[in-house]
Amino acid sequence: MTLATATPDMELALPARAANIAVVRHALGAFGEAFAIEEETLSNIRLAVTEACTNVVVHAYPDGREGSLEVCATLHEEELIVVVRDEGPGIAPRTDGPGLGLGLPLIASLAGSVLLGRADERTEVRMTFPLSSARA
Amino acid sequence: MTEAQAPVNDEPPAGNSVFLRLATGPLAAPVLCRVMSMILTRADCPMDRLDDALILCDAISVHAPVYASDGHLALTMATDTRGIELRVGELCERGASMLLADAEVPGVGNVLERISDELRVEPSGAGGSHEELVLTLRFG
Repeated sequence: MTLATATPDMELALPARAANIAVVRHALGAFGEAFAIEEETLSNIRLAVTEACTNVVVHAYPDGREGSLEVCATLHEEELIVVVRDEGPGIAPRTDGPGLGLGLPLIASLAGSVLLGRADERTEVRMTFPLSSARA
Repeated sequence: MTEAQAPVNDEPPAGNSVFLRLATGPLAAPVLCRVMSMILTRADCPMDRLDDALILCDAISVHAPVYASDGHLALTMATDTRGIELRVGELCERGASMLLADAEVPGVGNVLERISDELRVEPSGAGGSHEELVLTLRFG
Protein backbone atom coordinates (compact mmCIF):
# COMPACT_ATOMS: atom_id res chain seq x y z
CA MET A 1 0.00 0.00 0.00
CA THR A 2 1.43 3.40 -0.92
CA LEU A 3 1.23 6.32 1.44
CA ALA A 4 -1.09 8.15 -0.94
CA THR A 5 -3.69 5.39 -0.65
CA ALA A 6 -3.16 4.56 3.02
CA THR A 7 -6.09 5.27 5.31
CA PRO A 8 -4.93 7.62 8.07
CA ASP A 9 -4.50 6.12 11.52
CA MET A 10 -6.50 9.05 12.86
CA GLU A 11 -8.87 11.38 11.07
CA LEU A 12 -10.62 14.20 12.87
CA ALA A 13 -13.17 16.52 11.26
CA LEU A 14 -14.81 19.31 13.22
CA PRO A 15 -16.06 22.89 12.92
CA ALA A 16 -13.22 25.41 12.43
CA ARG A 17 -13.58 27.14 15.81
CA ALA A 18 -10.81 28.31 18.09
CA ALA A 19 -12.12 26.11 20.90
CA ASN A 20 -11.79 23.03 18.72
CA ILE A 21 -8.04 23.53 18.31
CA ALA A 22 -7.74 22.23 21.88
CA VAL A 23 -9.61 19.08 20.80
CA VAL A 24 -7.04 18.55 18.04
CA ARG A 25 -4.15 19.10 20.46
CA HIS A 26 -5.54 16.58 22.93
CA ALA A 27 -6.18 14.03 20.19
CA LEU A 28 -2.57 14.41 19.00
CA GLY A 29 -1.34 14.08 22.57
CA ALA A 30 -3.20 10.78 22.95
CA PHE A 31 -1.91 9.68 19.53
CA GLY A 32 1.65 10.41 20.60
CA GLU A 33 1.27 8.57 23.88
CA ALA A 34 -0.27 5.54 22.17
CA PHE A 35 2.70 5.28 19.83
CA ALA A 36 5.31 6.29 22.46
CA ILE A 37 6.46 9.38 20.55
CA GLU A 38 9.20 11.20 22.43
CA GLU A 39 7.84 14.12 24.46
CA GLU A 40 9.99 16.80 22.81
CA THR A 41 9.05 15.61 19.33
CA LEU A 42 5.39 15.43 20.31
CA SER A 43 5.56 18.95 21.67
CA ASN A 44 6.94 20.19 18.33
CA ILE A 45 4.25 18.29 16.43
CA ARG A 46 1.50 19.78 18.60
CA LEU A 47 2.88 23.29 18.15
CA ALA A 48 3.16 23.02 14.36
CA VAL A 49 -0.30 21.49 14.03
CA THR A 50 -1.74 24.14 16.35
CA GLU A 51 -0.31 26.82 14.04
CA ALA A 52 -1.79 25.14 10.97
CA CYS A 53 -5.19 24.82 12.67
CA THR A 54 -5.04 28.44 13.86
CA ASN A 55 -4.44 29.51 10.26
CA VAL A 56 -7.61 27.65 9.26
CA VAL A 57 -9.67 29.26 12.04
CA VAL A 58 -8.34 32.76 11.39
CA HIS A 59 -7.91 32.82 7.61
CA ALA A 60 -9.83 30.06 5.83
CA TYR A 61 -13.34 31.42 6.28
CA PRO A 62 -13.02 35.21 6.23
CA ASP A 63 -16.69 35.79 5.39
CA GLY A 64 -17.76 34.51 8.79
CA ARG A 65 -19.39 31.31 7.61
CA GLU A 66 -18.57 28.25 9.66
CA GLY A 67 -16.39 25.83 7.77
CA SER A 68 -14.67 22.59 8.51
CA LEU A 69 -11.26 21.75 9.89
CA GLU A 70 -9.87 18.33 9.11
CA VAL A 71 -6.76 16.77 10.61
CA CYS A 72 -5.34 13.42 9.50
CA ALA A 73 -2.38 11.67 11.10
CA THR A 74 -0.58 8.69 9.63
CA LEU A 75 2.37 6.86 11.11
CA HIS A 76 4.57 5.68 8.25
CA GLU A 77 7.80 3.87 9.05
CA GLU A 78 9.78 6.39 11.13
CA GLU A 79 7.73 9.44 10.16
CA LEU A 80 4.49 10.97 11.26
CA ILE A 81 2.55 12.69 8.50
CA VAL A 82 -0.08 15.18 9.61
CA VAL A 83 -2.37 16.85 7.07
CA VAL A 84 -4.53 19.84 8.01
CA ARG A 85 -7.29 20.65 5.50
CA ASP A 86 -9.99 23.25 5.07
CA GLU A 87 -12.55 24.26 2.48
CA GLY A 88 -11.45 27.87 2.24
CA PRO A 89 -10.29 29.70 -0.88
CA GLY A 90 -6.63 28.76 -0.46
CA ILE A 91 -3.43 30.19 0.96
CA ALA A 92 -2.56 33.67 -0.31
CA PRO A 93 -0.61 36.63 1.06
CA ARG A 94 -2.81 39.00 3.10
CA THR A 95 -1.85 42.59 3.68
CA ASP A 96 -4.72 42.96 6.14
CA GLY A 97 -4.01 39.73 8.00
CA PRO A 98 -4.60 39.85 11.78
CA GLY A 99 -1.54 37.75 12.63
CA LEU A 100 2.17 38.36 12.64
CA GLY A 101 2.74 36.06 9.69
CA LEU A 102 4.88 33.70 11.73
CA GLY A 103 2.67 30.61 11.38
CA LEU A 104 4.05 29.02 8.22
CA PRO A 105 7.72 29.80 8.98
CA LEU A 106 7.23 28.30 12.44
CA ILE A 107 5.66 25.17 10.95
CA ALA A 108 8.54 24.92 8.48
CA SER A 109 11.08 25.14 11.28
CA LEU A 110 9.37 22.45 13.38
CA ALA A 111 8.49 19.91 10.68
CA GLY A 112 10.94 17.89 8.62
CA SER A 113 9.09 18.99 5.49
CA VAL A 114 5.96 20.96 4.64
CA LEU A 115 3.88 20.91 1.49
CA LEU A 116 1.10 23.38 0.79
CA GLY A 117 -1.43 22.29 -1.76
CA ARG A 118 -4.96 22.38 -3.03
CA ALA A 119 -7.05 19.47 -4.25
CA ASP A 120 -10.77 18.69 -4.51
CA GLU A 121 -11.69 22.28 -3.58
CA ARG A 122 -9.75 21.93 -0.35
CA THR A 123 -6.56 23.52 0.88
CA GLU A 124 -4.08 21.36 2.72
CA VAL A 125 -0.90 21.72 4.73
CA ARG A 126 0.99 18.43 4.78
CA MET A 127 3.64 18.20 7.50
CA THR A 128 6.09 15.35 7.87
CA PHE A 129 7.84 14.84 11.19
CA PRO A 130 10.76 12.46 11.47
CA LEU A 131 10.49 10.37 14.62
CA SER A 132 13.44 9.28 16.66
CA SER A 133 14.38 5.71 15.82
CA ALA A 134 14.55 5.10 19.56
CA ARG A 135 11.03 6.08 20.53
CA ALA A 136 10.37 6.37 24.23
CA MET B 1 -2.61 42.66 16.74
CA THR B 2 -1.41 39.14 17.44
CA GLU B 3 -3.23 36.04 16.25
CA ALA B 4 -4.29 35.39 19.84
CA GLN B 5 -6.14 38.72 19.81
CA ALA B 6 -7.58 38.34 16.35
CA PRO B 7 -11.32 38.03 15.97
CA VAL B 8 -12.07 34.42 15.19
CA ASN B 9 -15.14 32.45 14.34
CA ASP B 10 -15.78 31.18 17.87
CA GLU B 11 -19.43 31.61 18.72
CA PRO B 12 -20.71 30.23 22.03
CA PRO B 13 -20.78 26.44 21.81
CA ALA B 14 -24.49 25.90 21.20
CA GLY B 15 -23.55 22.69 19.42
CA ASN B 16 -20.53 20.89 18.17
CA SER B 17 -20.08 17.90 15.93
CA VAL B 18 -16.86 15.94 15.72
CA PHE B 19 -16.13 13.08 13.36
CA LEU B 20 -13.32 10.79 14.44
CA ARG B 21 -12.01 7.87 12.43
CA LEU B 22 -9.46 5.70 14.20
CA ALA B 23 -7.42 2.66 13.32
CA THR B 24 -8.25 -0.13 15.72
CA GLY B 25 -5.40 -0.92 18.07
CA PRO B 26 -3.61 1.13 20.70
CA LEU B 27 -5.07 4.44 19.46
CA ALA B 28 -8.73 3.73 20.03
CA ALA B 29 -9.09 4.08 23.80
CA PRO B 30 -6.79 7.05 24.51
CA VAL B 31 -7.89 9.18 21.56
CA LEU B 32 -11.61 8.49 21.95
CA CYS B 33 -11.52 9.23 25.70
CA ARG B 34 -9.52 12.46 25.26
CA VAL B 35 -11.71 13.78 22.45
CA MET B 36 -14.89 12.88 24.32
CA SER B 37 -13.61 14.63 27.47
CA MET B 38 -12.80 17.79 25.56
CA ILE B 39 -16.07 18.15 23.74
CA LEU B 40 -18.17 17.33 26.80
CA THR B 41 -16.22 19.85 28.86
CA ARG B 42 -16.91 22.47 26.20
CA ALA B 43 -20.59 21.53 26.35
CA ASP B 44 -20.68 22.18 30.13
CA CYS B 45 -21.37 18.55 30.89
CA PRO B 46 -21.49 17.86 34.65
CA MET B 47 -18.74 15.70 36.12
CA ASP B 48 -20.90 12.65 36.87
CA ARG B 49 -22.09 12.40 33.26
CA LEU B 50 -18.56 13.02 31.99
CA ASP B 51 -17.47 10.06 34.08
CA ASP B 52 -20.34 7.99 32.62
CA ALA B 53 -19.33 8.99 29.10
CA LEU B 54 -15.76 7.85 29.69
CA ILE B 55 -17.02 4.46 30.91
CA LEU B 56 -18.95 4.22 27.62
CA CYS B 57 -15.81 5.12 25.69
CA ASP B 58 -13.80 2.48 27.50
CA ALA B 59 -16.40 -0.19 26.79
CA ILE B 60 -16.62 0.81 23.13
CA SER B 61 -12.87 0.96 22.59
CA VAL B 62 -12.42 -2.47 24.17
CA HIS B 63 -15.21 -4.28 22.32
CA ALA B 64 -15.97 -2.39 19.10
CA PRO B 65 -12.69 -3.03 17.21
CA VAL B 66 -13.63 -6.71 16.84
CA TYR B 67 -16.67 -5.67 14.81
CA ALA B 68 -15.08 -2.84 12.79
CA SER B 69 -15.72 -3.64 9.16
CA ASP B 70 -12.44 -2.30 7.74
CA GLY B 71 -10.01 -2.04 10.65
CA HIS B 72 -11.20 1.45 11.54
CA LEU B 73 -13.83 2.81 13.90
CA ALA B 74 -15.88 5.76 12.66
CA LEU B 75 -17.24 7.79 15.56
CA THR B 76 -19.45 10.85 15.39
CA MET B 77 -20.03 12.92 18.52
CA ALA B 78 -22.68 15.63 18.36
CA THR B 79 -23.32 17.79 21.39
CA ASP B 80 -25.88 20.43 22.20
CA THR B 81 -26.81 22.07 25.49
CA ARG B 82 -28.80 19.01 26.59
CA GLY B 83 -26.57 16.07 25.79
CA ILE B 84 -24.47 14.14 23.34
CA GLU B 85 -25.23 11.64 20.62
CA LEU B 86 -22.44 9.18 19.92
CA ARG B 87 -22.54 7.10 16.74
CA VAL B 88 -20.23 4.11 16.56
CA GLY B 89 -19.69 2.71 13.07
CA GLU B 90 -18.93 1.29 10.60
CA LEU B 91 -19.60 -2.02 12.23
CA CYS B 92 -20.08 -5.28 10.35
CA GLU B 93 -23.51 -6.83 9.94
CA ARG B 94 -24.92 -7.61 13.42
CA GLY B 95 -21.80 -5.94 14.85
CA ALA B 96 -23.79 -3.38 16.81
CA SER B 97 -25.90 -6.05 18.47
CA MET B 98 -22.83 -8.10 19.30
CA LEU B 99 -21.04 -5.02 20.67
CA LEU B 100 -24.04 -4.41 22.88
CA ALA B 101 -24.01 -8.01 24.09
CA ASP B 102 -20.29 -7.78 24.88
CA ALA B 103 -20.92 -4.86 27.24
CA GLU B 104 -22.69 -7.13 29.72
CA VAL B 105 -20.81 -7.17 33.02
CA PRO B 106 -21.74 -9.90 35.54
CA GLY B 107 -23.36 -8.40 38.61
CA VAL B 108 -23.60 -4.97 37.00
CA GLY B 109 -25.67 -5.47 33.89
CA ASN B 110 -25.15 -4.01 30.48
CA VAL B 111 -22.86 -0.99 30.79
CA LEU B 112 -23.98 0.62 27.53
CA GLU B 113 -27.68 0.17 28.31
CA ARG B 114 -27.38 1.34 31.92
CA ILE B 115 -25.50 4.53 31.11
CA SER B 116 -27.20 5.61 27.88
CA ASP B 117 -30.53 7.40 27.92
CA GLU B 118 -31.29 6.11 24.44
CA LEU B 119 -29.69 3.37 22.44
CA ARG B 120 -30.49 2.03 18.98
CA VAL B 121 -28.97 0.23 16.03
CA GLU B 122 -29.13 1.82 12.58
CA PRO B 123 -28.05 0.52 9.20
CA SER B 124 -25.24 2.40 7.52
CA GLY B 125 -22.97 2.21 4.49
CA ALA B 126 -23.94 1.57 0.90
CA GLY B 127 -27.15 -0.44 0.83
CA GLY B 128 -27.24 -0.63 4.62
CA SER B 129 -24.59 -3.34 4.64
CA HIS B 130 -23.06 -2.04 7.86
CA GLU B 131 -24.41 -0.99 11.24
CA GLU B 132 -24.04 1.92 13.62
CA LEU B 133 -24.69 1.84 17.33
CA VAL B 134 -26.25 5.15 18.34
CA LEU B 135 -26.09 6.16 22.01
CA THR B 136 -27.52 9.28 23.60
CA LEU B 137 -26.46 10.71 26.96
CA ARG B 138 -28.48 13.58 28.41
CA PHE B 139 -27.15 16.02 30.94
CA GLY B 140 -29.11 19.20 30.48
